[in-house]
Amino acid sequence: MEEALEQPQLRVFLHPLLHPALLPVSYPRDIRPTWSSIMEYNGGSVIAMVGKDCVAIASDLRLGNQALGISSNFTKIFPMTNRIFLGLPGLATDVTTLKETFRYRVNMYTIKEEREIEPETFAHLVSSTLYERRFGPYFIEPVMAGLQKAADGSLKPYIAATDLIGCLNFAKDFVVAGTASSKLFGVAEGLWEPDLGPEDLFETISQTLLNAVDRDAYSGWGAEVYVLTKDKVIKRTLKGRMD
Amino acid sequence: MPDGSFAHPQQRQFNPYTDNGGTILAIAGADFTVIAGDTRQSEGYSIQTRYAPKVFRLTDRAVLAVNGFAADGNMFVKKVKQRLEWYRHAHAKDMPLRAIARLIQTMLYAQRFFPYYVYNILGGIEEDGTGAVYSFDPVGSYEREACRAAGAAQSLVQPFLDNQIYFKNQKAAAGQTHPTHLPLSDVLSIVIDSFTSATERHIEVGDGLEIFVVVTKGHSPQGLESIRNVQEVTTRADTDRMFVIRRELKKD
Repeated sequence: MEEALEQPQLRVFLHPLLHPALLPVSYPRDIRPTWSSIMEYNGGSVIAMVGKDCVAIASDLRLGNQALGISSNFTKIFPMTNRIFLGLPGLATDVTTLKETFRYRVNMYTIKEEREIEPETFAHLVSSTLYERRFGPYFIEPVMAGLQKAADGSLKPYIAATDLIGCLNFAKDFVVAGTASSKLFGVAEGLWEPDLGPEDLFETISQTLLNAVDRDAYSGWGAEVYVLTKDKVIKRTLKGRMD
Repeated sequence: MPDGSFAHPQQRQFNPYTDNGGTILAIAGADFTVIAGDTRQSEGYSIQTRYAPKVFRLTDRAVLAVNGFAADGNMFVKKVKQRLEWYRHAHAKDMPLRAIARLIQTMLYAQRFFPYYVYNILGGIEEDGTGAVYSFDPVGSYEREACRAAGAAQSLVQPFLDNQIYFKNQKAAAGQTHPTHLPLSDVLSIVIDSFTSATERHIEVGDGLEIFVVVTKGHSPQGLESIRNVQEVTTRADTDRMFVIRRELKKD
């Protein structure tokens, strides 16, 4: 009875120099970078929450090279329109690429449609952009927060997140992503409540983020928070533990 | 595939450990300690039972919570109880909490090269009447703390406790300081909230919640008797009092 002793394994490599052809024969298979370590290569976390007639999105400011901290002012949240903010935790090189890709695609939408893109439409734009790279994905799990224009002209809170190939998660309460996601889930589940006003929502999302990233070695080094209301956007930069 | 032939190299493997999920948690107050655990026992995606206690009464003033590999956990508790009985026969008194903590360290380290795959949290009342929590790693490294979560949902619960018990990232009002110990009613609310949150977001947590409360002798149980589903398990008069609170958690 013949049977293959070893199954070929699907792996994504971090760097072209780590291509199997370039590796010495003795390079141990098990210490090569794998899928999960790409998501943890630079670190970082984002969270978005719904409030009463307002939304908030917040992220840490760390950029790392695995355990080594590189920068404490690496922003991961970008304005897409006046009322849509996009958070991009994951591989830092893809943060830069996707930020520019979405800027381009939102501009093209604005020109062609002669109007601003709505959050729900933007969420599907994000989803399809990521799914285009289904078999060689960007290592980013986007989180977005916005205010959606309803039929009666009022603004309705909208948050969403996707996985790295664009599967949409439209939640009614909060969404999280990044290396501290499990901690963010735990704290948010304990602190969040429905119908928080802008100031209470700010306090809730800030406490959730700060306490979650303090238990994550790959996230932290400061934070920034955006609160979107019908007539203004409040941005606050938070001091956090720097260890 | 091992087939007993000598034609090609073969490998056999036996893994003596498994992870049975669940979460435990303990918080110390000034004159009480709360030790809690969920009662779900699982292996992979299967639930083996919805009621497998992880929190055990050791003495009148000591409670041990064990999480990880259930078989190791049960055997470890059995052996700790046995050592405590021997101590009682030799010294005609219960072993003090800090001595139990040191005993657990030596018992865990004795298995340094084939460890009990268990995270232990010991809670109870110290000889000076203060509430105490001791947490251990599987090979016996331990520390006395005010609060600790362990198990499947540790990463969900511990940062929440940092915030609510240690007041991390919170600033006290002007001219005031944060309390070092919370009242029992606040602690119980935080424990129950922690487990309902963990149940909501973690598949290995749920079914039931068992909360042990140990209150220092002579101190008021702070309205504990009026709480729903509370049972007093104190064995002798004139000792610290011990209570068990049982709650349902979501079963999905």
